[in-house]
Amino acid sequence: MIGKRLSTLAALALLGASVATPLKAETVLSVATAGDQNMVDYINDYLGPKFEAANPGVSVNVVGTGPGDAGSLKIFEKLDAQAKAGTASWDIDVAVVHQRGAAQMMDDDLLSKYRDQIATGNMVTGQSAENALGTDVTGFVMPMFNSQIAIAYNPAVVPNPPKTYDELVTWASEHPGQFGYNGIKGGMSGVGFVMGWVAAMTGDADKLEKGPYDPAEKAKIEEALASMKPFNADVTMTPGNAGTLDMLNRGEIVMGPVWVDMFYTWQADGKLSPDLKLQIIAPGLPGQPMYYVIPAKAASADLARKFVELATSPEVQAEGIVKRFNWYPGIDAAHVQAQLDPASWNKLFTDITPEDLSTKGKPFPLSQYFTDILEAYERVAQ
Amino acid sequence: MTHNAAGGRGSSSAPAVAGSARPWHIPEGVWGLLLLAPALALLAALFAYPLGLSIIGSFTDKEGTLGGANYRKIFELYTGDIVFSGAVCLFTVAVTNVFAVAIGGYLILGGSPKAVAALRWLYRWPLFIPFVVAAQMMRGFLAKNGLMNNSLVTLGLIDPANTVGLLDWRGVVITFVWKQLPFVTLLVSGAMASLDQSMIEAARNLGAGRVRVLLGIILPQVRGSLLVASVLTFVTLMSVLSVPMMINAAQPTMITVDMAYRITSLGDYGAANALGVVSYLMTAILAWLYLSRGMPRIENQ
Repeated sequence: MIGKRLSTLAALALLGASVATPLKAETVLSVATAGDQNMVDYINDYLGPKFEAANPGVSVNVVGTGPGDAGSLKIFEKLDAQAKAGTASWDIDVAVVHQRGAAQMMDDDLLSKYRDQIATGNMVTGQSAENALGTDVTGFVMPMFNSQIAIAYNPAVVPNPPKTYDELVTWASEHPGQFGYNGIKGGMSGVGFVMGWVAAMTGDADKLEKGPYDPAEKAKIEEALASMKPFNADVTMTPGNAGTLDMLNRGEIVMGPVWVDMFYTWQADGKLSPDLKLQIIAPGLPGQPMYYVIPAKAASADLARKFVELATSPEVQAEGIVKRFNWYPGIDAAHVQAQLDPASWNKLFTDITPEDLSTKGKPFPLSQYFTDILEAYERVAQ
Repeated sequence: MTHNAAGGRGSSSAPAVAGSARPWHIPEGVWGLLLLAPALALLAALFAYPLGLSIIGSFTDKEGTLGGANYRKIFELYTGDIVFSGAVCLFTVAVTNVFAVAIGGYLILGGSPKAVAALRWLYRWPLFIPFVVAAQMMRGFLAKNGLMNNSLVTLGLIDPANTVGLLDWRGVVITFVWKQLPFVTLLVSGAMASLDQSMIEAARNLGAGRVRVLLGIILPQVRGSLLVASVLTFVTLMSVLSVPMMINAAQPTMITVDMAYRITSLGDYGAANALGVVSYLMTAILAWLYLSRGMPRIENQ
């Protein structure tokens, strides 16, 4: 009874809305993006208007679902609900998600295989376009950009920063409170630092990144993290990704893990001292891409493919991703470099060379290991 | 509400006393229930139903089987955080009450009308600032090289080498007190203003000092309001996520942070629900206090 009334009400409301708004032959492309506000800004201010100009009669509507894996989880839950309800066409046309989100969506068959159908599909060369934390995503994703965690430091105080995790442990015990990171509950730069620690201390980086998953590894992970407890006593805990940058800037710590793109953006905005520098310590620190995915039953799948094609074109990757937002390009760098002036290109690689990036830029561990590491950290490291 | 309804019915059915009984006569009890129904429905849909779901969820593990695994996990990992949350909130309530009584007392007993007017105008400001904004502000204010310490160093009051950052439990308590003080003061000073002034004047005439009047005459009479304010403050603070997340980077931390972490990083709704149920139980103890002691006192006042 109530259901019937509600549907009558809804119908009336719809009728009202259609009368109230002038009739326009406008198609709306719905884009949902996980990540911080800058992701929404990127589409609203840059990509959306560009796409609308190239496709008259189409408007891009973007919704941000929040930072971190939680943002991707919300998109997953929405698609999953529509799939389970048997809805014929889903109301998200393009989604921008993290690796764990993409892996989850793959497991539940929520994505469409579209990479071969767009012109930029063959411009992708990185490993991350095929493997998302152990799940094969070949063909189903296009990387929007790659982001990397690195150690920021103040060269005025530390002219010769530690180059490896082992050296860092010694350095931190000699300089208590001078290294800072945000634990595992305050953002991914801290999580990435912990993942790097486990890979370094177990020496099993390959196994953690590529699998197959072996539950017996748990003991080794716990052992590696138990050795982090004395280290944690020597360092400062910072409140979040931004908290680490703030404390570096105020001189409260002199070293700490940060996202490279955030670091450069803050410097460009004048929120961070231009004297600070970046490096990746050995054996490596993780980074991750964000993916453009198209849901299996997207209402405007054709337009969605066109949108991703534009977003991953060398021109947009150069101007939008590298120049404006300081991200590493999602498609092969060779296609992008040709579109950029040398100054903009070099800025991205001032502190971290492309070689550093290829040898010490690592993927995050497989989902199961990732969870094991987080669980073990809470039990033994803090 | 019920009385009004009953009164209305009584007057409209007055002629019926002389004639035959009306077929649509509705007993008073049913009227009461009907009037309460919308509120009860809302309570059921928005509180009882989610509460039930969250209790069931807390006993359900990832495979969907019922059991106490989530509780074993949270007590293994988060016992310290549970105690910390309760302690931080209780400590905040205590500090807030002391300041609120002091401000309320000054508003009633203060000698300088200008100072009273200024205080009355000033103390409410934090009420209109959201927790997340307060947290962001305190982050820059309380840090080791933040605004507060830099100002003190510039004034020559402390040595730069001796500055201490307050971005830990102390920062959380300071932010909570700053944010909740206007609310508690509003309730307490309202209760103080409605007291019989002649008693205060009599005490002053007999030579009691202002502090003595505040503690001996006023405070005992506003205890009920203070208790209600304390309960509401505690319940509010138990649910704040932004402040501990943005200010307290160290361990232990408040359980709201653990709940958010369990859901966002691990998709572990079971453990998050279990933590939620623990926080319900903590606030339920206070709610019981409120219902069993606070309400009658308020009504008597």
